[in-house]
Amino acid sequence: MNINALNGVLLADFTIDPLAARLSNGNEFPAAPCEVAPFDQVLPILMNPSHPVWQEKNFAVIWSRPERVSPAFQAILNLESPRTESIVGDVDAYCDLILATAGRVEATFVPTFTMPSFHRGLGALSTRPALGAAYWLNAMNSRLMERLSSAANVFVLDANQWVQTIGTAASNPKLWLMGKLLFPPELLRLAASDVKSTIRALCGLSKKLLILDLDETMWGGIVGEVGWQGVSLGGHDAFGESFVDFQKSIKALTRTGVILGIVSKNDESVALEAIESHPDMVLRKSDFAGWRINWRDKATNIAELVEELNLGLDAAVFIDDNPAERARVRESLPNVFVPEWPEDKLLYSKALKELRCFDRVSITKEDLSRTEMYVAERQRNETRSSALSMDDWLASLELKLQVELLNEGNIKRATQLLNKTNQMNLKTRRFTEEEFIHWAELPGNAVYCFRVLDRFGDYGLTGIASISANGDAGIIEDFLLSCRVMGRGVERGMLHVVLNALSQSGVLKTTVQFIKTDRNKPMLDYLVTESELMASQDSGVFEWNHSKAYEIPVHVSLELDDDVRLQMGSLTSPVAQ
Amino acid sequence: MEMPTAERVHEAIFAVFDDLNEDRAPDQQLPKSSQTLLFDKEGKLDSLAFVTFVISLEGEIQQRFGKTVTLANEQAMKRVESPFRSVQTLGDYIVELLDSD
Repeated sequence: MNINALNGVLLADFTIDPLAARLSNGNEFPAAPCEVAPFDQVLPILMNPSHPVWQEKNFAVIWSRPERVSPAFQAILNLESPRTESIVGDVDAYCDLILATAGRVEATFVPTFTMPSFHRGLGALSTRPALGAAYWLNAMNSRLMERLSSAANVFVLDANQWVQTIGTAASNPKLWLMGKLLFPPELLRLAASDVKSTIRALCGLSKKLLILDLDETMWGGIVGEVGWQGVSLGGHDAFGESFVDFQKSIKALTRTGVILGIVSKNDESVALEAIESHPDMVLRKSDFAGWRINWRDKATNIAELVEELNLGLDAAVFIDDNPAERARVRESLPNVFVPEWPEDKLLYSKALKELRCFDRVSITKEDLSRTEMYVAERQRNETRSSALSMDDWLASLELKLQVELLNEGNIKRATQLLNKTNQMNLKTRRFTEEEFIHWAELPGNAVYCFRVLDRFGDYGLTGIASISANGDAGIIEDFLLSCRVMGRGVERGMLHVVLNALSQSGVLKTTVQFIKTDRNKPMLDYLVTESELMASQDSGVFEWNHSKAYEIPVHVSLELDDDVRLQMGSLTSPVAQ
Repeated sequence: MEMPTAERVHEAIFAVFDDLNEDRAPDQQLPKSSQTLLFDKEGKLDSLAFVTFVISLEGEIQQRFGKTVTLANEQAMKRVESPFRSVQTLGDYIVELLDSD
């Protein structure tokens, strides 16, 4: 999905123009221009893939009222005795039509069904299966979420959460009667924010690093003055409990792949002692990928820490209770997101949970263990400083490269990596899961996924290389690697695998074309250092003539899975067919 | 609660403008002036924006002055000169409604 060329369509059975305005004109990134489909034509337009509103659109929002999707639900609202068994079937039919849009646009957003808050129905009887509107609304939403979860590019958004946030103002019958507006603008703004945060996540722009201040942020008080025994954390008072709550919320974020850092003006030994010794600390040293605890400027410390962790500044979020420090970081590092922060410490956990910048569209195995990977990296770097030479250090790592083809088990992680890797990336192609699988299945194409392990731990799936064979000509289409494993011979190991696969399939010459972006200079730098690749006269094009084997570094061991072994030498090229 | 003077009512109208302007394109912004034409031949609001504006303004007035008013009512529609023509006429109309309460 190209975040700079968004073009959407909104289908609804109520007036949805204010949502289109918010998506197109709101201050929040990205601008997502969209067309509003003819009013109350949701089902006919869903049924017609050649309807003009689908032309050149890359996302859709489909938003229906439950009574329009299911006549039986309307009967419940009328307190009639409906055939409730047809309700689930009505939702299934609606879902089938939505699932068909998965091939028309790159992302489809479907808000859950809601009812106006003033609609009390039958009071306590509303939750009974026979006539209860509340019961059937929940059943319809459960079915909607269950059915649509089968498509990776269809996202159900929780409209009830928007209704709860707005409160009673979320439902105003005057809006409906005067303009067929189901919701006020403030609710549609929440909807637009959720659509945009999901688009950002799809484009790999979710924040990855949360950097925290310590005093008055992670605990109450100044640890340098009162010692770790004197800070406010835990215990039986509201403030102490609120800091524990806040730390628990941060810990929960790490389970989605967000890594943590500390930037604090403190004595490092005093602060680390507090983190390790205070009995109510939820976060310990092992939860942090790195820190800068000293008396220097925080902006400088943040920039250094981000660089140490091989991330971009735009991946980082900084939380600090001090408005002056926040302003300083915003001014010096505009790419770092520094949210406004409540003065009231009891609201810290709420403020964190309200942030959309960490939203994800999937959580992979690698996300779950990212913190451990960074801690292992810190240990690696410690051994690096004690090793005699670079070769000694690389040999001591016991690097292993596991290779597998793109498959159902790794597609989520592979697509995530494809769409968020910027620096070590040959062409920066972006694909949805469906598009990537489709490309891999075309004759002559293959996508290899690389897992990297060493004696300190498992980096997970961190590299992708995709190739095309066409008679005796080969092309490396994608070549990308997480920054975390750059510069350790993994790149050359990957080249060894793909060039070997092309050789075995009868390819005599392979072309590697570098496409420049603002951020992928490390990729070009690497290609230039691989002296065995011949630089073509065309700028950014490199060639390999397959007259000899492309050797793997001695310190990298290779493990090919069975599918890769079977596929080696059997790339079906279009010319050979 | 504030006293509903013409000036305070205009401030309430402009607060709603601020809110609506967030979602409007740069060339569609509502200027904060008593002369701004609203629902008129050359007005800045189409019928949909008018609905949103009127209902948001009713909420703003309730919040600022603690009084419930219904702006789009039959009496307003029957007037020879529409109270919704400009910020000035609307402000006068709201003060009149609040005073008669």
